[in-house]
Amino acid sequence: MDEQTQLAAPEGSAPLSVPEPNEEQGMSRETWAWVCGVAGWLVPGLGHALQFMWGRAVVVFLAVGLLAGAGASMKGNVFTRDGSDAFDTLGYAADLGTGTFYMMARNMEPDGADVSHADGDYGTRLLATAGVLNLLAALHAFEAARGRKA
Amino acid sequence: MSGWPSLQLSHFQVFLLFAVVISIAFGFLGRRRPKDRIKYILWSFLLFLAVGIGIAWVMFPFSR
Repeated sequence: MDEQTQLAAPEGSAPLSVPEPNEEQGMSRETWAWVCGVAGWLVPGLGHALQFMWGRAVVVFLAVGLLAGAGASMKGNVFTRDGSDAFDTLGYAADLGTGTFYMMARNMEPDGADVSHADGDYGTRLLATAGVLNLLAALHAFEAARGRKA
Repeated sequence: MSGWPSLQLSHFQVFLLFAVVISIAFGFLGRRRPKDRIKYILWSFLLFLAVGIGIAWVMFPFSR
């Protein structure tokens, strides 16, 4: 992990460094990209942290955590795999996108969701937003690890 | 965890929370230089506000 790849940087700024996987340990760039992508999904921001993108890692972690925490605090619906229709399944997929925050959100609602009030409905949307945002961030970490411009 | 505080926000407050958090996340993910990030965050936040309030006005006649 000591090797650094120099990437083209905008004029007037220093070259940007992205850590490169140690090929001697048998990990190809593609494998490293999958590791970063999956890590970023499971723990928001970890995919960027593995690549030493600290600012992005902290922002993704806080953003996903804040949205998921607010959604659960508002008693939003945390979908399970026992959904009865396609919308429940889509909601479950979106909620799963938050990675470990999904379990946190479920633990924050021991009495279940309350969508009989507007707050619960807003919370449901915030939880889904957190999941989709984290999936986007994980995809970004995956692409960055593959050496694409990020 | 059963004593976790319940959060009650209005529709507009949730909208502002969403716009602020998503703008910051997009700014950091989409731009590298701090100056570009700040410009992107402010611009996307203003667009979120404009589009959200604009849609609310368009939908207002159908809300009652």
